[in-house]
This record gives sequence, structure tokens and C-alpha cells, in this order.
Amino acid sequence: MTDDTNVPDSDDGGVGAAERRHTVRDRYGEIATSEASCCGETSGSACCGGDTRGETDHDDRSRLLGYSDAELDEVESGANLGLGCGTPTAIAGLERGEVVLDLGSGAGFDCFLAARKVGPEGRVIGVDMTPEMVEKARENAATDDAENVSFRLGEIEHLPVADGAVDVIISNCVINLSPDKQRVFDEAFRVLRPGGRLAISDVVQTAPLPAAVRTNPSSVAGCVAGAAPIPELESMLEDAGGVDVSIDPKGDSEEFIREWDDERDVSEYIVSATIEGRKPDR
Amino acid sequence: MKESLLDILCCPLDKGELELEVIRENDDEILEGRLVCVECGEEYPIEDGIPNLLPPDMRDEAAA
Repeated sequence: MTDDTNVPDSDDGGVGAAERRHTVRDRYGEIATSEASCCGETSGSACCGGDTRGETDHDDRSRLLGYSDAELDEVESGANLGLGCGTPTAIAGLERGEVVLDLGSGAGFDCFLAARKVGPEGRVIGVDMTPEMVEKARENAATDDAENVSFRLGEIEHLPVADGAVDVIISNCVINLSPDKQRVFDEAFRVLRPGGRLAISDVVQTAPLPAAVRTNPSSVAGCVAGAAPIPELESMLEDAGGVDVSIDPKGDSEEFIREWDDERDVSEYIVSATIEGRKPDR
Repeated sequence: MKESLLDILCCPLDKGELELEVIRENDDEILEGRLVCVECGEEYPIEDGIPNLLPPDMRDEAAA
């Protein structure tokens, strides 16, 4: 368990909610506006797989995460910032005509992939709390000619989406960043229609994090310190009203997670997982 | 923002319906405007085509 120096408003100890939100927003705002992407000057801090290399490396990294060459080729390259930890569009098994909501849509890469799968009769909505990211996503939507995709500024703990309006929720390496994950899942299941599903990719904690990692704000923004243990996530999903909940760690994620932190091998503590659940039909 | 999206948008705070006030639009979408919650009256701006539906405390933070 956590020690008594924890900040009470954080759901998992370590860095407090307000500070966490700030750090995350600042970091991802910077990433969106810098061509170099991600970490930049702040070396030694992890950043959801980001680095100072170029687009080619984002593609290489994305192959490692499970995206196919065809998928990488079909989307406007500026939309892929190499910040994810899996392939939620693949997990979700999207069908034509479905309404998809992407929590923490960033520059829009997964949204554009999802848009191709749901076709013109479906639609994809991306929500992100970082203005710079939403702007970038919108620019990408214009160059990518993605008519059925739209982006809005919003917070995943306060989704601006009507009850039961969504068929599928996807998210890629974002919910770990939230200081109130239960609320994120509550909101997710509120906006899902009965029978709708959630299929996300995120990091989960497999062993207790050292205090130095847990209390470091940049480790939170870097998708390490905020990772929750699997049993905790399972009960959050169930408390939110999810059924058929499954959380499967991916054995091969070590290879890229190891690179997230220069100082220590964080793959000892966290692993990328596919997290799925369904809203009951009635 | 396309007007067709309005039916699945809601106020992030009380989930009330939103009413659209258009300031500027083109053939495709609304570029500038406001979304006003019919329940609490909170106004959410649409700027450069992007609806800002962050809760008010976070929106002020972003503008600063």
C-alpha cells in the first residue's frame, strides 16, 4: 500500500490531482506544438514512448505497438505522434456505422483509423483536454479529408457527451494520466449505449512503484506513475457498471516500455494491457 | 463543428442539453459561436471550429 505522505486528492497516492492535471496538460501541449515531439529538453523523464526523433521513428515504434504498415500509410503522418501503448482500433473490432468516442484523442491518429472502419455512416469523436492537441487534430482532419471525425476540447472526467450516445469507447495510453480514474470509467459507461463496449489500451502496474517514481510529476505525465494495478482497474470498471471485464497484459510491451525512462527500467513495474468491458444490454 | 453533432453533445457539468448560437459559419460547419446549457446556463465557446467543452475552471486555466 501507499505511505502516509500521500496527497489525499489523488486516487493512487503520489502526485496530487491538480498538479497532475497541470503537468500532463503542459507536457502534451508542448508535444503538440514542437515538431520534434514529446520529451524534448526534459531528458530522463518518460513520455509515453515519445522521443526526439522524427516521423520514421514514430512509425517504427507504432509497428512495435501492433499497427500494420497499411494503417500507418493510410493516415496523414502528422497525426501519429507515437504516444500510444497499443492498438485500440484493432481491439475494438469496429463495424460500419458505429459511433466511436476516443478518450484523449491527441493528434487524432486512432480516430482517423477508426473513421475508416466505421465508414461515412458512422462517426468518430475525439475528446482531449489539451488545446494544442485538438488544434493539431483538426488540421490533420482537414488534410486527411476525414468527414466523419470531429474533435472537441473536453475533460474525460466530465465528458460533454449525451447518455447512451456511443457504441464503442477507445483510448490509447491516456486513462493512466487521470487523477480520478473511477470517474473516467463512470462517465464512459454513462455515454455508452446499452450493449456498447469499451476497448482501450493502457499501462497497468504489475509491481509497486518505487517512491521516487510515484512522487515525480514527470513520471505521471510519462504514463508510468499513474498506472493502476489490474485488480484495482477491474473493480473500477465493474463499479462503473461494466460486465465481461477483461484486462490482458501484453507480454511483448517490455521492449518499448523499457525505453520510456533513461534512469531505470520501468518495465519491471508497468506493462501495457488491453482493457475491455461491456455495458449490459438492459 | 458540424451542427449535426449537437444531438450527442451535452453540458460536461450537469449533462443538460446545449443550445447553439452561431456567430460565424461556412457551408460545412460552425466556426465561431457558443453552446449554452439549457439547465445551468453555462456558456461554452466555439473557436476556430473547435467546441471548448472543458469544465469552466479548466477553461479559464487554459486561457491564462
